[in-house]
Amino acid sequence: MSVRDEERLGGDPSDLELVHAGRSGDDSALGELVKRHHAAAYRVAVSLVNEDDVAQDVVQDAFIKAFRALGGFRGDASFRTWLLTITANEARGALRRSSRRKETALEDAGPVQSEAMGPAQAAVVSQEAGRARAMLERLPEKQRLSVSLRIEEGLSFKEIGEVIGSSEGAARVNYFHGIRRLRELME
Amino acid sequence: MNNEACGTVRELIPDFVGGRLAATDVGVVERHVPDCAECAAELALARVVLASRLAPPPQLLERLLRSVESVRTQPARTWWGISAAAIAALALGIGISSDPAAQIPVDVPGYAYEVEEGDIWLSDDGLVAGAPLFDGLSDDALLQLLDELSGGSA
Ligand SMILES: [Zn+2]
Repeated sequence: MSVRDEERLGGDPSDLELVHAGRSGDDSALGELVKRHHAAAYRVAVSLVNEDDVAQDVVQDAFIKAFRALGGFRGDASFRTWLLTITANEARGALRRSSRRKETALEDAGPVQSEAMGPAQAAVVSQEAGRARAMLERLPEKQRLSVSLRIEEGLSFKEIGEVIGSSEGAARVNYFHGIRRLRELME
Repeated sequence: MNNEACGTVRELIPDFVGGRLAATDVGVVERHVPDCAECAAELALARVVLASRLAPPPQLLERLLRSVESVRTQPARTWWGISAAAIAALALGIGISSDPAAQIPVDVPGYAYEVEEGDIWLSDDGLVAGAPLFDGLSDDALLQLLDELSGGSA
């Protein structure tokens, strides 16, 4: 069963139908969009900010911004791709803020401790998968996101390009470079 | 090993492990992989990456569903959330700026902001978050708004 099928049982409305219902004031439609896509948004956020609590804040902000701007959603991208793009932008904003905080802390208080492993990182299913997760974190940001979005979320290279702010071709190159690098790291 | 076949198979591997492939493409992967160590290794890696997929913390969904309820205001509140400038524009019978970029201070993709006429989206801090056009309101609704406004300022 595919990722998308798990989240969309037979006969359910499409995302676009839910977007239209949400715009007409149907809050339950917005809730359904949250249920379908919060896991993917969370994974994108964690992949970028690498901290569980920050990632949760990022996902919440992303949904709020997406829903406030829903009147402008035209449906030429899928809702999922659009949401993940907003999530990635939010996560980058959170990273910038946290690096500014770290610089301040560095000036004030000396060296900063390395990030603690959050519960998200601890939730890996097996030793090998845990290793893969750790190695993924060592890839450059665009390679890491391209590999995750392609394999874990099933996005096309065109959709990945929208999320990482590059062309379809660049998304493809990032994916295959990321996979090759990951194989080297795992050996 | 055949480079062209390898290229095809490697394109298919992510959707193969995710169960998103049509049966004919499933066959392409299944026939190729037993005879190609490189593609077999890449398939194994993709399976491991998929298995390492994180699950969101269980409380996140509940938290998000609560926050959705606060995203939009009810129509009755919407009227009072409109800025003084918007009310002045309404009273003068002129349109309100539909430049959404000036109204939504958020960092989302540009195409997010093309607001369709008739949509009224207000943020809960009272800012106009879309392009509030009043064409969709009935005369009665407009009169009621003006009544309430004059009542409120008297
Ligand atoms: Zn091969």
